[in-house]
Amino acid sequence: MNVGRAHMVLMLLALAGVGLPVASWTRAASGRMAESQGKAPEVATASASDMSYCTGDLKVILKRVLVSCGLVSGGSSRGCQPLQARQVAAMSGGDFNALFEPLADRAAIIQFDKDSADLDVTAAALLEKTFADRRGASYFFVVSRASPEGSVEYNRELSRRRGNVVLDHIRAKFQDPDIEQEVGLLWLGKEFAQLDQKFCQWTRSRNSELCNTADLNRSAFIAWIDCRL
Amino acid sequence: MCHMFSLEMNEPDGNRLKAEIPRKSLLLMAAFACTGVVFAAVSSYDFIAHLDRQVHAITCSIVPGLGAPDASGASGCHAVLMSPYSSVLRDLTWGGIPIALPALGVFVFLLFRAVDLSLRKHLARGETAFMVAATALPVLTSIVYSVISLTMIGTLCTVCIGIYVSSLGVFVTAIAAHLLAHRPEPPSRAQASSPWASWSFYFLEGVALVALPVLVYLTLKPPYSDSLLHTSGLRHPEDKYGVMLDMRSGGTVPAVEVLDPLCPACKGFAERLAASSRFSELQIKVVLFPLDKECNWMVNESLHAGACAVSEALLCAGERANHVLDWAFLHQAELRALGQEGAAAIYGRIKRDFPALATCVGQPKVRDRINQGLRWIVANSLPVLTPQLFVRNQKLPDEDTDLGLDYVLARVLAQGAVGGEVRP
Repeated sequence: MNVGRAHMVLMLLALAGVGLPVASWTRAASGRMAESQGKAPEVATASASDMSYCTGDLKVILKRVLVSCGLVSGGSSRGCQPLQARQVAAMSGGDFNALFEPLADRAAIIQFDKDSADLDVTAAALLEKTFADRRGASYFFVVSRASPEGSVEYNRELSRRRGNVVLDHIRAKFQDPDIEQEVGLLWLGKEFAQLDQKFCQWTRSRNSELCNTADLNRSAFIAWIDCRL
Repeated sequence: MCHMFSLEMNEPDGNRLKAEIPRKSLLLMAAFACTGVVFAAVSSYDFIAHLDRQVHAITCSIVPGLGAPDASGASGCHAVLMSPYSSVLRDLTWGGIPIALPALGVFVFLLFRAVDLSLRKHLARGETAFMVAATALPVLTSIVYSVISLTMIGTLCTVCIGIYVSSLGVFVTAIAAHLLAHRPEPPSRAQASSPWASWSFYFLEGVALVALPVLVYLTLKPPYSDSLLHTSGLRHPEDKYGVMLDMRSGGTVPAVEVLDPLCPACKGFAERLAASSRFSELQIKVVLFPLDKECNWMVNESLHAGACAVSEALLCAGERANHVLDWAFLHQAELRALGQEGAAAIYGRIKRDFPALATCVGQPKVRDRINQGLRWIVANSLPVLTPQLFVRNQKLPDEDTDLGLDYVLARVLAQGAVGGEVRP
C-alpha cells in the first residue's frame, strides 16, 4: 500500500479509536443520569432516638405528663403534683414505676438528707453527669419523692422543692435554651409510686451507704427518656 | 508544505535524507504507547462514569481488569480522581475536562505514529527527532503530575503510575529509535529540506487526536439543569446552641459546612473547597457531625471511631480549632485506629499532641456541646452523612460535592449575586 494512503488509514483508525469509546462512555453517563433524576437518595434523616423500651404505655404516660405538666403547652405552671400525677398516669404506683425499669442504665437517683432539699456535692456531680449524657433523648424526667415520715402536705411540698432544686441546678450549669421544653417535673410526695427495695441496685448519689426504702424515697429520680412522640 | 510531505510519504528511491528503520525500537515504542492508551482509557472511563453524579467503583490495578475495583474510596486512585487536579476548567463545565482525556489522545497519537513509521521502508531522521519531541510531552506532564500527586494529594495512584511508566517508555524508545536510525550522508544544500513542514503536519494530527475526544466529551456530557440546585435549605439556621465553629472565614457569603473530622470524604471535600477559586468568597462556619456511636445515637456502628473525642478537641480548641482540624485530617487513619482501641487511646493521643486541651476534652460541658450540635442537626432534619455544605442557606446537592463542586459553587454564588439576596 502506498505509504501516504497507509498513513491516512491509520490516522482514521486512530480518530475512530479515540472518539468512539469516549462518545460511548459519555452517552452512557448521560443515560444513567437521566434515569436517576427524581429518585430520592436512600439516606437516613437525623432524628431523636426512639429506643425499644418506648412502649405504647410509656409513650401515653409521657405525652400526658408533657401536656399536663407544662412542657408542651408552655403554660405558666411547671410540674405535676401527686394527685395530678396519679390522674395523669391512671395506673397504680407499682405499674407506674415499672414503666421506668427499662431505664436502669440511663437513670440515677439523687438522694437528699431527711427534711432537706439541698444537693450535696456527690448528688450535684451525679446530676450533671446524668444530664450531660443526653445522647439522642428528647425529654429529661425528674420524679421527686419524700419518705413516709411527716404529713402528706409537708411531703408534697418537700418533694416539690427537691424537684425544683434539681431543675435550678440544671438551669445554672447547662446553658440550654430549650430546657423549658425538655425537663418534665413530677413531685409525688409520699403518696404515690414509692420506690421499693429493688431500686437500691440503681445508680444512686449515695451508693456507698446502706440503702433502705426510706432513704431511697428522699430522692429525685432522674433520667433522659429516649422516646420520640 | 503538502508538497514536501507527499514527497516523503511516497518514499522516492535513493533519497539520501532517508535513514533505515529501527523497527524493534518503534515496535517497542508502539507497545509502550499501547499500555499508555489502556491506562489513560481506564482513567478516562472512571472519570466519565462519575458524570452521572453517582458513586462508582474505580479501577486501581497495574493490570486493569484483573484487580478488584475500589468501591470504598480508600485507594490512591480514588483520592487522585476526586482531587482538584484530576481535571481542568471545573468552573466552566460540571467536573471539568479530565486530564486523562488529552492523555488518551496523546498516547493514541504516539501509537499511530509508531505503527506508521514501523511500516515504512525508509525513514527521515527528522521523523524520529519529532517523535523524541512528541514523547517528551507525556514525560513532562508525568513529572508535573507525580510531583502534584506526592506533594499536594499525598498519594500515588496505580493507574497513574502505569501512565508515568508508559510515558517514560515511549520517550526512551523514541530516543533509541532516533539514535538507531542510520545516519545518512550529509545532504547537499540543494537536497536539504526543512523538516518543519512535516513536523507541523504531524503536530496538527496530534492536536486533532487530542481535540477530538475533548470535543466529543464536551458535546455529549450530561447537561447540568438548574432544577438540580433546588434543594431544601436549613429550617433553623440560627446557632442558638453556640455550636458553630468560625474556622475558615475569609469572604462575606455565609456558608455552613457540616463535617466529621475523621471522615475521609470530608478531608477530600475540604481540600477541594480550599482549592476552589470561589473559596475566598465564603465565610464558613462548621458544625460537627461525628459519625461515631460514642456520642452519636443516629449511627449503630461507628463509621469513624474516635470522631467524638476529636470533635471535643475541636470545640475545646476555640480559636485554634482550625489547627486541630488540620491535625485531624492529617492523621485520620491513625486516629480512627486509636478510636477503635477505645476512649483512653484516642484521648491519650489528643492530650499528648495538645496538652492545653487536656482539662477540657472528655468533660461533661464539652460533651454537652457535641450533643447540642447533633441536636442542631436533628432540628434541621439533615441526612446522616458528611460532608454537607450550605451556601446562603441553600444546600449544595450531595452529588455535587466532589467533581462538580467548583461548577455548582460558581452557579450558586452567581445566583445569589443576581438575586442580591443574603440570608443567614
